[in-house]
Amino acid sequence: MPPDSSSQFQPAIQDASRSKKLQLLGILSGFAAGAWLGAAEAPTKLVSIGISPMVISLIMVIGVFLARWSLPALILGTSSVRADVRRAPHLVIWALLAGCLWAVANTLTIFAIRDIGLSIAFPLWNSNSLLGILWGFLFFNELRQAGWRRRAGVLGGALVMCVGATLLAIASSGRGPAAHSLHGVWAALGAGILWGTMYIPYRKAYLTGMNPLSFVTFFSFGELGMMTVLSVSSLGLAPLWQELLSARSVIFWLMLGGFVWVIGDVFQQYAAKYVGISRGIPLSNSNQLWGLLWGILVFGELHGRSSSIYLEVIGGSLLMMLGVGAIAFSSATGQEQTRWKEAAIRESDRYGVAADFVEARMDGRQLLGEAKPSRSALDWLLVVAATSVFLIFGAMARVPQMSLHWGPAALLTAVLFLLLVISGLALWRTTRFN
Amino acid sequence: MERNQETNMTRSWMASVLTDIHFWVPVAVLMGGLLLLRFIR
Repeated sequence: MPPDSSSQFQPAIQDASRSKKLQLLGILSGFAAGAWLGAAEAPTKLVSIGISPMVISLIMVIGVFLARWSLPALILGTSSVRADVRRAPHLVIWALLAGCLWAVANTLTIFAIRDIGLSIAFPLWNSNSLLGILWGFLFFNELRQAGWRRRAGVLGGALVMCVGATLLAIASSGRGPAAHSLHGVWAALGAGILWGTMYIPYRKAYLTGMNPLSFVTFFSFGELGMMTVLSVSSLGLAPLWQELLSARSVIFWLMLGGFVWVIGDVFQQYAAKYVGISRGIPLSNSNQLWGLLWGILVFGELHGRSSSIYLEVIGGSLLMMLGVGAIAFSSATGQEQTRWKEAAIRESDRYGVAADFVEARMDGRQLLGEAKPSRSALDWLLVVAATSVFLIFGAMARVPQMSLHWGPAALLTAVLFLLLVISGLALWRTTRFN
Repeated sequence: MERNQETNMTRSWMASVLTDIHFWVPVAVLMGGLLLLRFIR
């Protein structure tokens, strides 16, 4: 009789404290993701208008591409990426697919903001968290046997966050929408659906043991490839090149935005890994709150606006925080985690990935006897090359002429780095970034 | 011999991906997104 593969996942004593620690780690990663994803908007605000949205998106993606290769090389080394691919080669396809979904969603967002304005577009695509909860429930056993309190906490929290996001978006829109077009509504809804579905490959990868740092490396190929195709097909090669040349003084700021975004996304990946997509996505969606903090405190966006706008901002922020709190306090119970493991067994059986490897990675640790990741000359070369590209464009960059409030900027930056250090150290101590 | 085994393994995981319903949901959504983008432009 063949051995039951599920038995390989059931050690005699389940380490409950380890599981609790990983849940907390996922929640902390979600908070850090929100802060860094929100801050990614700041460098893009320094760019003056007059560049095609498609070009802005493409340059940001180039920054993202550079960061997504250099950061994993710096943290773990590319040998770890190669080892992951050897164990689960099918995940490369999933990562490419997720990258393509991101690129199309981002482009649709640009069109949505143009057609219906931020106030309507943002809440519409924020619905991605609700879709993420649905996919997590349907495909990956998330929220199964979670009990009604936890289900209500996650679902209610996500809904409250959507309402809060709507209020914030209405308050933060400086003017009415450019045109009330049905196209814009479709674009925003489409972006929400694409983003919500993008988390299927995320969860798939982490249930099969892939390291988030390996996943983002291949994700970037799908992202850059799809973005290049969209830009060239939209503008044409020669006009695109001309636009890139004329934008060279602001390329650095846009690439910096992409770099900051990647740090947020890496934390988002760890959140999706350790608390699942149903909790990880809403927590990361708190980025809207952080984006607004940068807008109001650093760029003085709501200066001189009516008191009702400030009430909307305060109300929206409180609702967002309430939703985040509800989700953070609804961490998965032992029974629900058993259902996650069943989903992981299904994946490892289907794709022939060693069960003990998947179990170890879900537990955030290395397999017994697994070679420790190390950095080679190639890794340092990648880091130096990416840094050089940033330095070259940094030297070309023009310092924008605009009024900035440096005090709040320094404070928010300090908070960002504090979250980076706290979450990074917690990840390192608990999982060694596995 | 080793190369044959490697080819078989590649075919096997490719077949596993292509027969996985989870794969076709994001693919269908991506196609829908591209069509929507084309329609909007």
